[in-house]
Amino acid sequence: MNRTITNTFIKIVSFVIAFTCSLLIIAVFLFILRESLPIWQMTNPLAFISGREWSPVFEPIQFGIAPMLASTLWVAFGALIIAVPIALSCAIFLAEYAPDWLARLLRPVLNIITGIPSVVYGFLGAAVLVKFFEVRFQVASGESLFAASIVLAFMVVPYIVVNSESALRAVPEEFKLSALATGVSKPYVTMKVVVPMAKRGMLGSIALAFGRAAGETMAVLMIAGNVLRFPESWFSRGEPLSALIALELGSAAPHSSHYQGLFAAGLVLIAVVTIINISINYLVKRNELVKY
Amino acid sequence: MKRKNLLIVGLISLLMMALLAVAGCSSDNAEAPEGGATPPADTSIRIGGSSTLSPIIAKCADNFTEEFKTWDKVDANLPAENIVIFVSTGGSGFGVKSTIDGTFDLGLVARTLKDEEKAELEGGQTNQIGSDVLTIAVNPNNPITTIKPDISREELKNIFAGEITTWNQLDPALPDKAIIVAVRDLGGGASEVFDTAVMKGTPISKDAQQIPSMGALAGKVMENDMAIGYVSSGLVNQNADKLFALSIDGIAPTLENIKSGEYDIGRPLLIITKSEPTAKQQAFLDYLMSDKGFAVVEDLGYIPNN
Repeated sequence: MNRTITNTFIKIVSFVIAFTCSLLIIAVFLFILRESLPIWQMTNPLAFISGREWSPVFEPIQFGIAPMLASTLWVAFGALIIAVPIALSCAIFLAEYAPDWLARLLRPVLNIITGIPSVVYGFLGAAVLVKFFEVRFQVASGESLFAASIVLAFMVVPYIVVNSESALRAVPEEFKLSALATGVSKPYVTMKVVVPMAKRGMLGSIALAFGRAAGETMAVLMIAGNVLRFPESWFSRGEPLSALIALELGSAAPHSSHYQGLFAAGLVLIAVVTIINISINYLVKRNELVKY
Repeated sequence: MKRKNLLIVGLISLLMMALLAVAGCSSDNAEAPEGGATPPADTSIRIGGSSTLSPIIAKCADNFTEEFKTWDKVDANLPAENIVIFVSTGGSGFGVKSTIDGTFDLGLVARTLKDEEKAELEGGQTNQIGSDVLTIAVNPNNPITTIKPDISREELKNIFAGEITTWNQLDPALPDKAIIVAVRDLGGGASEVFDTAVMKGTPISKDAQQIPSMGALAGKVMENDMAIGYVSSGLVNQNADKLFALSIDGIAPTLENIKSGEYDIGRPLLIITKSEPTAKQQAFLDYLMSDKGFAVVEDLGYIPNN
């Protein structure tokens, strides 16, 4: 009797906490929506997203975030292009091949890396990487989306490794043993049995990494260059959405259209990250339906 | 054993909820208008805003705390409490915003106030502690410092508008390298001043790099031989060997030229309050607006308002 009471009590408490958390996210979303509402009434969303002119203070006042959105996508996908191959190989190595002592040594190191504040990465990037590009490639100024991607890649690698590794480890031992018993090699088992079974978790970790890379502010603010020109390539300078907001929100007068424009940019950023997360999840689900 | 753990978890969550509830109530109280005879025992002064002004005020606050230690030594009518002054940064706009919403007691603003801001701050004080001029700074390694240390306002405008993109377009003797234009974020205090004095509505080049603080902007010019940017005179004076200030139309940003008003790319340094300051805030304001405050302003390379 006593036990059931405790159980119900815990259940209610957990429910309330979980509910509050979700409510918080919804509240944040609604707040951003409310603050940016006048912008959506003034310009239509398509023009806002595809416009190339961002001139929030001086006439003619225009809100177009295409250059920033493109910068965000370049930086985040660029970071994944660099990070994913390294991180997945690292996860497979740690889960399947690494001797126990090495894995026990590497895992805490990875966890510590996730805890390094992004401003430290940003500072290192600005001091070392930017300077390196200036000296090595004789460019006038070393900031670029590429440099920002490299730093972001460093930041997201541990996320992908830690999450992918736990997905790989979650594959039941029996599957591996039975596969090995048929006489195939260990790499074959890893690539054909373990990895496909852990695919869902691994893709999930990549989606998580994308969200983090797209939202990361401090490091890109210091390295991406913050110019308003549309980034034509990975190696141009650009100003990702997060950097735009961080740069300008401080000086925007409250409830001015500049301020609302920045909230609208924030809303777009949230929407982009959410859409990409949902599509990755959708891809994962569809894959599974085909398989089973 | 397990049940015990669960109970502990439950207790902790209850405790946290209680804490949250308390926090919620107290913030409600803080928002309510001060009705009672004695205002809440808030012993500290919170100051913040302009990234140019905050180092000056932080230095003054240090000196002030060092000199008096407790409030009763400043003025016998004040209680014998330790002096606690917080100074933070965030930009002029942030300073105004936070002063209006009550986050800061004193706001630091390094630009003229807009009309709608003046309306919101009607009940308070606006003190000008000094002025700051924006010098057009380049790296000392840039040959322009010997070849062409004086540029015209038109040339300056063209550089920042992106019409002149390489140094040799300015003077054939200069290197054929891209000009790295460094600016503060558009809409910030410094960029408004620069717009009024130089650009006059012409948009800044899209290739200009926006840099989040005045210190970082100066750092960019110090590090990059090919960079040009508008840097606070204070920072130029503090880093005299790492930054070189160009003359505009033959007028160098010297103290005499600034004081006489001949060099006019400048802005006021303001300290604002939303309502009439409390006795403590007034005591500190008086200190800032005294010769001791002005001395710090001058020490750090700005022009005091005395």
